[in-house]
Amino acid sequence: MTGQAESIPAPFRARYCPLVDDENAFLASLSRLLPKAFRINTLKSTREDVSERFAGYGIGLATVPWYEDAFVCDNPEAGFSLEHFTGAIYMQELVSMLPPLLIRDILPGARMVLDGCAAPGSKTTQLAALMGNRGTIIANDVSYSRIRALKFNLEKVGALNTVITNRDLMAFPDMDFDAVIIDAPCSAEGTIRKNWEVFDTWSARGVQTYARVQKQLIVKGFDLLAPGGTMVYSTCTFAPEENEAVVDELLKSRPDAKLEPIAIDGLKTSGTVESWDGAEFDPETRKAVRIWPHHNDTGGFFLAKVKK
Amino acid sequence: MRRKGSSETISPQDVSGKILGYMEERFGLGPELFSPYRMYLASKGRVYLGPRNVPDMPKIATIGLLIARVNGAVKPSTNLLQIMGKHVEKNAVELEKQQALDFAKGQDVRLAPAQLATLRDGYVLMRYNAEPLGCGFLRLGAVKNMLPKAKRLPLRFI
Ligand SMILES: C[S@@+](CC[C@H](N)C(=O)[O-])C[C@H]1O[C@@H](n2cnc3c(N)ncnc32)[C@H](O)[C@@H]1O
Repeated sequence: MTGQAESIPAPFRARYCPLVDDENAFLASLSRLLPKAFRINTLKSTREDVSERFAGYGIGLATVPWYEDAFVCDNPEAGFSLEHFTGAIYMQELVSMLPPLLIRDILPGARMVLDGCAAPGSKTTQLAALMGNRGTIIANDVSYSRIRALKFNLEKVGALNTVITNRDLMAFPDMDFDAVIIDAPCSAEGTIRKNWEVFDTWSARGVQTYARVQKQLIVKGFDLLAPGGTMVYSTCTFAPEENEAVVDELLKSRPDAKLEPIAIDGLKTSGTVESWDGAEFDPETRKAVRIWPHHNDTGGFFLAKVKK
Repeated sequence: MRRKGSSETISPQDVSGKILGYMEERFGLGPELFSPYRMYLASKGRVYLGPRNVPDMPKIATIGLLIARVNGAVKPSTNLLQIMGKHVEKNAVELEKQQALDFAKGQDVRLAPAQLATLRDGYVLMRYNAEPLGCGFLRLGAVKNMLPKAKRLPLRFI
Protein backbone atom coordinates (compact mmCIF):
# COMPACT_ATOMS: atom_id res chain seq x y z
CA MET A 1 0.00 0.00 0.00
CA THR A 2 1.32 3.44 -0.81
CA GLY A 3 0.61 6.30 1.50
CA GLN A 4 -0.13 9.89 0.63
CA ALA A 5 2.38 12.62 1.31
CA GLU A 6 -0.29 14.46 3.35
CA SER A 7 -0.57 11.61 5.84
CA ILE A 8 3.10 11.72 6.82
CA PRO A 9 3.06 12.60 10.54
CA ALA A 10 3.90 16.25 11.29
CA PRO A 11 6.64 15.45 13.84
CA PHE A 12 8.32 13.27 11.20
CA ARG A 13 8.28 16.14 8.68
CA ALA A 14 9.53 18.57 11.28
CA ARG A 15 12.42 16.28 12.10
CA TYR A 16 13.67 15.42 8.64
CA CYS A 17 12.59 18.11 6.19
CA PRO A 18 15.26 20.52 7.47
CA LEU A 19 17.92 17.87 6.71
CA VAL A 20 17.17 17.43 3.01
CA ASP A 21 18.00 19.55 -0.02
CA ASP A 22 14.52 19.36 -1.52
CA GLU A 23 11.68 18.88 0.92
CA ASN A 24 8.97 18.37 -1.69
CA ALA A 25 10.94 15.84 -3.66
CA PHE A 26 11.74 14.01 -0.41
CA LEU A 27 8.12 13.84 0.78
CA ALA A 28 6.85 12.94 -2.68
CA SER A 29 9.36 10.10 -2.99
CA LEU A 30 8.24 8.61 0.34
CA SER A 31 4.72 8.14 -0.96
CA ARG A 32 5.85 6.41 -4.15
CA LEU A 33 6.15 2.64 -4.05
CA LEU A 34 9.73 1.37 -4.06
CA PRO A 35 10.84 -0.14 -7.38
CA LYS A 36 11.61 -3.84 -7.08
CA ALA A 37 15.15 -4.96 -7.69
CA PHE A 38 17.25 -8.07 -7.79
CA ARG A 39 20.89 -9.02 -7.80
CA ILE A 40 22.55 -11.59 -10.03
CA ASN A 41 23.80 -14.47 -7.91
CA THR A 42 27.20 -14.90 -9.53
CA LEU A 43 27.64 -18.24 -7.73
CA LYS A 44 25.05 -19.65 -10.13
CA SER A 45 24.72 -17.39 -13.12
CA THR A 46 25.85 -14.28 -14.98
CA ARG A 47 24.21 -10.97 -15.82
CA GLU A 48 24.50 -11.73 -19.55
CA ASP A 49 22.63 -15.00 -19.12
CA VAL A 50 19.88 -13.55 -16.96
CA SER A 51 19.39 -10.45 -19.17
CA GLU A 52 19.04 -12.65 -22.20
CA ARG A 53 16.48 -14.92 -20.55
CA PHE A 54 14.40 -12.03 -19.22
CA ALA A 55 14.44 -10.44 -22.68
CA GLY A 56 13.08 -13.76 -23.93
CA TYR A 57 10.27 -13.59 -21.35
CA GLY A 58 9.44 -10.04 -22.42
CA ILE A 59 10.13 -8.79 -18.87
CA GLY A 60 11.85 -5.42 -18.91
CA LEU A 61 14.98 -4.90 -16.82
CA ALA A 62 16.69 -1.61 -16.06
CA THR A 63 20.38 -1.52 -15.27
CA VAL A 64 21.73 0.27 -12.20
CA PRO A 65 24.54 2.78 -12.83
CA TRP A 66 26.51 1.90 -9.69
CA TYR A 67 26.32 -1.90 -9.66
CA GLU A 68 26.72 -4.07 -12.72
CA ASP A 69 25.01 -7.06 -11.10
CA ALA A 70 21.88 -5.18 -9.95
CA PHE A 71 18.70 -4.79 -11.98
CA VAL A 72 15.44 -2.96 -11.39
CA CYS A 73 12.46 -5.02 -12.46
CA ASP A 74 8.99 -3.70 -11.92
CA ASN A 75 7.21 -6.82 -13.07
CA PRO A 76 5.95 -8.58 -9.92
CA GLU A 77 5.95 -11.78 -11.93
CA ALA A 78 9.77 -11.94 -11.75
CA GLY A 79 9.23 -13.94 -8.55
CA PHE A 80 7.73 -16.70 -10.72
CA SER A 81 10.71 -16.97 -13.03
CA LEU A 82 12.96 -19.97 -13.42
CA GLU A 83 15.87 -17.76 -12.33
CA HIS A 84 14.21 -16.95 -9.00
CA PHE A 85 13.46 -20.64 -8.51
CA THR A 86 17.02 -21.79 -9.18
CA GLY A 87 18.63 -18.97 -7.21
CA ALA A 88 20.26 -17.41 -10.27
CA ILE A 89 18.79 -14.11 -9.02
CA TYR A 90 18.20 -12.84 -5.49
CA MET A 91 15.45 -10.31 -4.77
CA GLN A 92 17.05 -7.49 -2.83
CA GLU A 93 16.38 -3.83 -2.37
CA LEU A 94 19.04 -1.69 -4.06
CA VAL A 95 20.40 0.14 -1.01
CA SER A 96 20.70 -3.17 0.81
CA MET A 97 23.40 -4.11 -1.72
CA LEU A 98 25.68 -1.30 -0.57
CA PRO A 99 27.41 -2.62 2.57
CA PRO A 100 29.14 -5.58 0.85
CA LEU A 101 30.01 -3.33 -2.11
CA LEU A 102 32.01 -1.01 0.15
CA ILE A 103 34.42 -3.86 0.88
CA ARG A 104 34.32 -5.69 -2.43
CA ASP A 105 38.06 -5.15 -3.00
CA ILE A 106 39.04 -7.08 0.14
CA LEU A 107 36.41 -9.83 -0.06
CA PRO A 108 38.00 -12.11 -2.68
CA GLY A 109 41.07 -12.64 -0.48
CA ALA A 110 39.34 -12.46 2.90
CA ARG A 111 39.89 -15.33 5.27
CA MET A 112 37.21 -14.70 7.88
CA VAL A 113 34.25 -12.31 7.58
CA LEU A 114 31.51 -11.61 10.13
CA ASP A 115 27.95 -10.62 9.29
CA GLY A 116 26.94 -9.73 12.83
CA CYS A 117 23.19 -9.13 12.32
CA ALA A 118 22.68 -11.39 9.34
CA ALA A 119 19.10 -12.61 9.08
CA PRO A 120 17.41 -12.99 6.63
CA GLY A 121 20.68 -12.95 4.73
CA SER A 122 20.61 -10.38 1.93
CA LYS A 123 24.10 -9.20 2.80
CA THR A 124 25.41 -12.69 3.62
CA THR A 125 24.32 -14.09 0.27
CA GLN A 126 25.99 -11.17 -1.48
CA LEU A 127 29.17 -11.57 0.56
CA ALA A 128 29.31 -15.24 -0.42
CA ALA A 129 29.03 -14.29 -4.08
CA LEU A 130 31.67 -11.56 -3.85
CA MET A 131 33.98 -14.05 -2.09
CA GLY A 132 33.40 -16.63 -4.80
CA ASN A 133 32.30 -19.12 -2.10
CA ARG A 134 35.81 -19.11 -0.58
CA GLY A 135 37.06 -18.12 2.86
CA THR A 136 34.62 -18.27 5.79
CA ILE A 137 31.61 -16.09 6.60
CA ILE A 138 30.15 -16.25 10.08
CA ALA A 139 26.50 -15.27 9.67
CA ASN A 140 25.14 -14.48 13.10
CA ASP A 141 21.73 -13.40 14.35
CA VAL A 142 20.16 -13.30 17.78
CA SER A 143 16.71 -14.24 16.54
CA TYR A 144 16.07 -17.96 16.28
CA SER A 145 12.98 -17.50 14.11
CA ARG A 146 14.85 -15.31 11.62
CA ILE A 147 17.65 -17.89 11.36
CA ARG A 148 15.22 -20.11 9.45
CA ALA A 149 14.87 -17.54 6.69
CA LEU A 150 18.64 -17.03 6.70
CA LYS A 151 19.19 -20.74 6.23
CA PHE A 152 16.65 -20.90 3.42
CA ASN A 153 18.30 -18.02 1.58
CA LEU A 154 21.81 -19.42 1.95
CA GLU A 155 20.56 -22.68 0.46
CA LYS A 156 18.85 -20.83 -2.34
CA VAL A 157 22.03 -19.11 -3.51
CA GLY A 158 24.31 -22.09 -2.82
CA ALA A 159 26.53 -20.36 -0.25
CA LEU A 160 28.98 -23.03 0.88
CA ASN A 161 31.42 -20.79 2.74
CA THR A 162 29.06 -19.92 5.60
CA VAL A 163 28.67 -20.81 9.25
CA ILE A 164 25.43 -19.77 10.95
CA THR A 165 25.58 -18.84 14.61
CA ASN A 166 22.58 -17.93 16.72
CA ARG A 167 23.56 -15.61 19.55
CA ASP A 168 23.55 -12.11 20.90
CA LEU A 169 26.50 -10.44 19.20
CA MET A 170 27.38 -8.86 22.54
CA ALA A 171 28.22 -12.34 23.85
CA PHE A 172 30.44 -13.22 20.89
CA PRO A 173 33.86 -14.64 21.84
CA ASP A 174 37.01 -12.68 20.95
CA MET A 175 38.01 -13.20 17.34
CA ASP A 176 39.94 -11.51 14.53
CA PHE A 177 37.87 -10.82 11.44
CA ASP A 178 39.20 -9.31 8.21
CA ALA A 179 35.84 -7.64 7.71
CA VAL A 180 32.73 -7.11 9.82
CA ILE A 181 29.28 -6.01 8.66
CA ILE A 182 26.93 -4.54 11.24
CA ASP A 183 23.60 -4.06 9.50
CA ALA A 184 21.97 -2.90 12.68
CA PRO A 185 18.41 -3.38 13.88
CA CYS A 186 16.86 0.08 13.46
CA SER A 187 13.64 2.06 13.33
CA ALA A 188 13.53 1.39 9.57
CA GLU A 189 12.24 4.82 8.60
CA GLY A 190 14.00 4.45 5.27
CA THR A 191 11.83 1.47 4.31
CA ILE A 192 8.62 3.52 4.35
CA ARG A 193 8.35 3.21 0.59
CA LYS A 194 7.72 -0.50 0.81
CA ASN A 195 6.21 -0.58 4.26
CA TRP A 196 3.93 2.35 5.03
CA GLU A 197 3.07 0.74 8.38
CA VAL A 198 6.35 2.14 9.72
CA PHE A 199 4.33 5.30 10.37
CA ASP A 200 1.75 3.43 12.48
CA THR A 201 4.21 2.96 15.30
CA TRP A 202 6.66 5.73 14.52
CA SER A 203 7.69 8.11 17.27
CA ALA A 204 10.77 10.21 17.80
CA ARG A 205 11.23 8.42 21.12
CA GLY A 206 11.30 4.97 19.51
CA VAL A 207 14.68 5.68 18.00
CA GLN A 208 16.32 5.98 21.43
CA THR A 209 15.76 2.31 22.18
CA TYR A 210 17.52 1.32 18.98
CA ALA A 211 20.34 3.80 19.51
CA ARG A 212 21.31 2.17 22.79
CA VAL A 213 21.68 -1.26 21.18
CA GLN A 214 23.43 0.12 18.10
CA LYS A 215 26.09 1.82 20.19
CA GLN A 216 26.91 -1.51 21.80
CA LEU A 217 26.87 -3.38 18.49
CA ILE A 218 29.17 -0.98 16.67
CA VAL A 219 31.78 -1.09 19.45
CA LYS A 220 31.57 -4.88 19.65
CA GLY A 221 31.88 -5.16 15.87
CA PHE A 222 34.99 -2.99 15.98
CA ASP A 223 36.52 -5.07 18.79
CA LEU A 224 36.04 -8.18 16.66
CA LEU A 225 38.16 -6.74 13.82
CA ALA A 226 41.73 -7.84 13.25
CA PRO A 227 44.22 -4.97 13.07
CA GLY A 228 43.93 -3.57 9.54
CA GLY A 229 40.39 -4.94 9.24
CA THR A 230 37.37 -3.04 7.93
CA MET A 231 33.87 -2.71 9.36
CA VAL A 232 30.76 -1.40 7.64
CA TYR A 233 28.01 -0.04 9.86
CA SER A 234 24.66 0.50 8.18
CA THR A 235 21.03 1.27 8.94
CA CYS A 236 17.94 1.90 6.85
CA THR A 237 16.80 4.83 8.92
CA PHE A 238 17.05 8.63 8.88
CA ALA A 239 17.41 9.23 12.62
CA PRO A 240 20.76 10.87 13.50
CA GLU A 241 20.52 9.16 16.91
CA GLU A 242 20.88 5.80 15.11
CA ASN A 243 23.47 6.95 12.60
CA GLU A 244 25.94 9.79 13.20
CA ALA A 245 25.52 9.59 16.99
CA VAL A 246 26.33 5.87 16.93
CA VAL A 247 29.50 6.40 14.91
CA ASP A 248 30.39 9.33 17.17
CA GLU A 249 30.09 7.03 20.17
CA LEU A 250 32.46 4.51 18.56
CA LEU A 251 35.05 7.23 17.87
CA LYS A 252 34.82 8.36 21.49
CA SER A 253 35.21 4.94 23.05
CA ARG A 254 37.74 3.48 20.56
CA PRO A 255 40.36 6.10 19.67
CA ASP A 256 42.02 3.73 17.19
CA ALA A 257 38.86 3.67 15.02
CA LYS A 258 39.25 5.66 11.80
CA LEU A 259 36.63 6.37 9.18
CA GLU A 260 37.24 5.96 5.48
CA PRO A 261 35.60 8.11 2.84
CA ILE A 262 32.86 6.44 0.80
CA ALA A 263 32.38 6.99 -2.91
CA ILE A 264 30.50 4.72 -5.27
CA ASP A 265 30.62 5.64 -8.92
CA GLY A 266 27.16 6.48 -10.22
CA LEU A 267 25.46 6.70 -6.81
CA LYS A 268 24.44 10.05 -5.36
CA THR A 269 25.36 10.14 -1.69
CA SER A 270 24.83 13.03 0.74
CA GLY A 271 26.71 14.45 3.66
CA THR A 272 25.96 13.50 7.23
CA VAL A 273 24.17 15.52 9.88
CA GLU A 274 26.89 17.51 11.66
CA SER A 275 25.04 18.38 14.84
CA TRP A 276 21.78 17.28 16.39
CA ASP A 277 19.83 18.15 19.49
CA GLY A 278 22.43 20.72 20.45
CA ALA A 279 25.34 18.32 20.22
CA GLU A 280 28.13 18.53 17.66
CA PHE A 281 29.42 15.25 16.20
CA ASP A 282 33.12 14.41 15.75
CA PRO A 283 34.16 15.84 12.34
CA GLU A 284 35.46 12.36 11.44
CA THR A 285 31.80 11.21 11.25
CA ARG A 286 31.44 13.37 8.11
CA LYS A 287 33.13 10.61 6.12
CA ALA A 288 29.99 8.52 6.55
CA VAL A 289 27.20 8.99 3.98
CA ARG A 290 23.43 9.25 3.82
CA ILE A 291 21.35 8.08 0.92
CA TRP A 292 18.07 9.96 0.61
CA PRO A 293 15.20 8.23 -1.21
CA HIS A 294 14.62 10.97 -3.79
CA HIS A 295 18.21 11.03 -5.06
CA ASN A 296 18.52 7.56 -6.56
CA ASP A 297 14.89 6.37 -6.34
CA THR A 298 15.72 3.92 -3.53
CA GLY A 299 14.98 3.44 0.15
CA GLY A 300 16.79 5.60 2.71
CA PHE A 301 20.15 4.40 4.04
CA PHE A 302 23.18 5.28 6.14
CA LEU A 303 26.69 3.88 5.75
CA ALA A 304 29.93 4.24 7.67
CA LYS A 305 33.18 2.49 6.74
CA VAL A 306 35.50 2.01 9.70
CA LYS A 307 39.12 0.92 9.65
CA LYS A 308 41.09 -0.50 12.57
CA MET B 1 29.89 -41.10 15.30
CA ARG B 2 26.79 -43.16 15.89
CA ARG B 3 23.57 -42.67 14.03
CA LYS B 4 20.16 -43.07 15.57
CA GLY B 5 18.04 -45.98 14.42
CA SER B 6 20.96 -47.91 13.00
CA SER B 7 23.54 -50.23 14.36
CA GLU B 8 26.06 -49.09 11.77
CA THR B 9 28.86 -46.83 12.95
CA ILE B 10 30.28 -44.46 10.43
CA SER B 11 33.19 -42.07 10.78
CA PRO B 12 33.43 -38.64 9.15
CA GLN B 13 36.32 -39.89 6.98
CA ASP B 14 34.31 -42.85 5.78
CA VAL B 15 31.39 -40.59 4.97
CA SER B 16 33.55 -38.27 2.95
CA GLY B 17 34.99 -41.14 0.95
CA LYS B 18 31.59 -42.66 0.44
CA ILE B 19 30.08 -39.40 -0.81
CA LEU B 20 32.97 -38.60 -3.13
CA GLY B 21 32.78 -42.09 -4.59
CA TYR B 22 29.03 -41.83 -5.12
CA MET B 23 29.16 -38.36 -6.68
CA GLU B 24 31.83 -39.39 -9.15
CA GLU B 25 30.23 -42.70 -10.02
CA ARG B 26 26.65 -41.50 -10.26
CA PHE B 27 26.99 -37.94 -11.63
CA GLY B 28 30.58 -37.64 -12.86
CA LEU B 29 31.26 -34.98 -10.21
CA GLY B 30 34.98 -35.10 -9.53
CA PRO B 31 36.58 -34.75 -6.08
CA GLU B 32 38.19 -31.44 -7.13
CA LEU B 33 34.74 -29.80 -6.92
CA PHE B 34 34.60 -30.71 -3.24
CA SER B 35 38.23 -30.22 -2.27
CA PRO B 36 38.04 -26.47 -1.44
CA TYR B 37 35.53 -27.45 1.27
CA ARG B 38 35.13 -29.92 4.08
CA MET B 39 32.34 -32.37 4.86
CA TYR B 40 30.66 -32.29 8.26
CA LEU B 41 28.61 -35.19 9.55
CA ALA B 42 25.56 -34.24 11.63
CA SER B 43 22.83 -36.32 13.27
CA LYS B 44 20.68 -38.76 11.29
CA GLY B 45 23.36 -39.22 8.64
CA ARG B 46 23.08 -35.67 7.36
CA VAL B 47 26.21 -34.45 5.61
CA TYR B 48 27.06 -30.78 5.17
CA LEU B 49 29.60 -29.24 2.82
CA GLY B 50 31.13 -26.13 4.32
CA PRO B 51 34.26 -24.02 4.70
CA ARG B 52 37.51 -25.74 5.69
CA ASN B 53 38.27 -23.12 8.29
CA VAL B 54 35.62 -23.05 11.00
CA PRO B 55 36.43 -21.33 14.29
CA ASP B 56 35.99 -23.40 17.40
CA MET B 57 33.07 -21.66 19.07
CA PRO B 58 29.79 -22.46 20.78
CA LYS B 59 26.30 -21.96 19.33
CA ILE B 60 27.06 -22.95 15.77
CA ALA B 61 23.69 -23.67 14.18
CA THR B 62 24.76 -24.81 10.71
CA ILE B 63 27.98 -25.22 8.77
CA GLY B 64 27.69 -24.86 5.00
CA LEU B 65 24.84 -26.59 3.19
CA LEU B 66 23.17 -29.96 3.49
CA ILE B 67 24.48 -31.93 0.50
CA ALA B 68 23.40 -35.48 1.27
CA ARG B 69 21.94 -37.96 3.70
CA VAL B 70 23.76 -41.19 4.30
CA ASN B 71 21.60 -43.97 5.65
CA GLY B 72 23.28 -46.95 4.14
CA ALA B 73 22.82 -45.50 0.67
CA VAL B 74 23.66 -41.91 -0.29
CA LYS B 75 20.79 -39.53 -0.99
CA PRO B 76 21.98 -36.30 -2.63
CA SER B 77 20.19 -33.03 -1.87
CA THR B 78 18.61 -30.55 -4.23
CA ASN B 79 21.05 -27.95 -2.83
CA LEU B 80 24.00 -29.92 -4.06
CA LEU B 81 22.56 -30.72 -7.47
CA GLN B 82 21.65 -27.05 -7.97
CA ILE B 83 25.14 -25.85 -7.03
CA MET B 84 27.09 -28.42 -9.01
CA GLY B 85 24.47 -29.23 -11.61
CA LYS B 86 26.35 -27.57 -14.44
CA HIS B 87 29.18 -30.08 -13.95
CA VAL B 88 26.94 -33.15 -13.88
CA GLU B 89 27.86 -35.51 -16.72
CA LYS B 90 25.55 -38.45 -16.23
CA ASN B 91 22.13 -39.31 -14.88
CA ALA B 92 20.79 -35.86 -15.71
CA VAL B 93 17.31 -35.67 -17.20
CA GLU B 94 16.83 -33.07 -19.91
CA LEU B 95 13.23 -31.99 -19.36
CA GLU B 96 10.62 -30.67 -21.76
CA LYS B 97 9.01 -27.38 -20.79
CA GLN B 98 5.81 -28.88 -19.37
CA GLN B 99 7.80 -31.45 -17.41
CA ALA B 100 9.97 -28.70 -15.93
CA LEU B 101 6.88 -26.71 -14.88
CA ASP B 102 5.40 -29.83 -13.26
CA PHE B 103 8.65 -30.63 -11.48
CA ALA B 104 9.12 -27.10 -10.09
CA LYS B 105 5.56 -27.28 -8.71
CA GLY B 106 6.43 -30.46 -6.85
CA GLN B 107 4.84 -33.07 -9.10
CA ASP B 108 6.32 -36.39 -10.14
CA VAL B 109 7.31 -36.62 -13.78
CA ARG B 110 6.85 -39.46 -16.28
CA LEU B 111 9.68 -39.62 -18.81
CA ALA B 112 9.59 -40.44 -22.52
CA PRO B 113 11.60 -43.45 -23.73
CA ALA B 114 14.12 -41.18 -25.46
CA GLN B 115 14.78 -39.35 -22.19
CA LEU B 116 15.33 -42.62 -20.38
CA ALA B 117 17.90 -43.99 -22.80
CA THR B 118 21.05 -43.04 -20.90
CA LEU B 119 19.66 -43.07 -17.35
CA ARG B 120 19.95 -45.68 -14.65
CA ASP B 121 17.42 -46.00 -11.83
CA GLY B 122 18.34 -44.02 -8.73
CA TYR B 123 18.78 -40.32 -7.96
CA VAL B 124 18.88 -38.02 -10.98
CA LEU B 125 19.45 -34.35 -11.67
CA MET B 126 16.46 -32.63 -13.26
CA ARG B 127 17.63 -30.07 -15.78
CA TYR B 128 15.88 -27.66 -18.13
CA ASN B 129 17.68 -25.68 -20.79
CA ALA B 130 21.01 -26.41 -19.07
CA GLU B 131 19.65 -24.99 -15.76
CA PRO B 132 19.80 -27.47 -12.85
CA LEU B 133 16.39 -27.60 -11.13
CA GLY B 134 16.88 -30.18 -8.41
CA CYS B 135 16.86 -33.79 -7.38
CA GLY B 136 14.51 -36.58 -8.42
CA PHE B 137 14.39 -40.33 -7.91
CA LEU B 138 14.01 -42.42 -11.06
CA ARG B 139 12.30 -45.76 -10.96
CA LEU B 140 10.37 -47.64 -13.66
CA GLY B 141 10.32 -44.72 -16.07
CA ALA B 142 8.97 -42.14 -13.63
CA VAL B 143 10.75 -39.56 -11.49
CA LYS B 144 9.61 -39.05 -7.95
CA ASN B 145 9.89 -35.40 -6.92
CA MET B 146 12.52 -34.76 -4.23
CA LEU B 147 12.22 -30.98 -4.05
CA PRO B 148 11.73 -29.80 -0.47
CA LYS B 149 8.22 -28.31 -0.12
CA ALA B 150 9.50 -24.82 0.67
CA LYS B 151 11.41 -24.71 -2.61
CA ARG B 152 8.46 -25.57 -4.87
CA LEU B 153 7.10 -22.81 -7.07
CA PRO B 154 4.42 -22.50 -9.78
CA LEU B 155 6.64 -21.03 -12.49
CA ARG B 156 5.30 -18.69 -15.15
CA PHE B 157 8.51 -17.80 -16.98
CA ILE B 158 10.86 -20.54 -17.99
C1 LIG C 1 18.30 -4.92 9.72
S1 LIG C 1 18.14 -6.58 10.22
C2 LIG C 1 19.42 -7.38 9.32
C3 LIG C 1 19.13 -7.62 7.88
C4 LIG C 1 20.16 -8.50 7.20
N1 LIG C 1 21.51 -7.97 7.40
C5 LIG C 1 19.90 -8.67 5.73
O1 LIG C 1 20.53 -7.97 4.93
O2 LIG C 1 19.08 -9.52 5.34
C6 LIG C 1 18.78 -6.57 11.86
C7 LIG C 1 18.96 -7.94 12.49
O3 LIG C 1 19.69 -7.79 13.71
C8 LIG C 1 19.30 -8.82 14.59
N2 LIG C 1 19.76 -8.43 15.94
C9 LIG C 1 19.21 -7.55 16.79
N3 LIG C 1 19.93 -7.45 17.92
C10 LIG C 1 20.98 -8.31 17.79
C11 LIG C 1 22.08 -8.69 18.65
N4 LIG C 1 22.21 -8.15 19.85
N5 LIG C 1 22.95 -9.62 18.20
C12 LIG C 1 22.78 -10.18 16.98
N6 LIG C 1 21.77 -9.86 16.14
C13 LIG C 1 20.88 -8.94 16.53
C14 LIG C 1 17.80 -8.90 14.37
O4 LIG C 1 17.31 -10.16 14.77
C15 LIG C 1 17.68 -8.66 12.87
O5 LIG C 1 17.61 -9.87 12.17
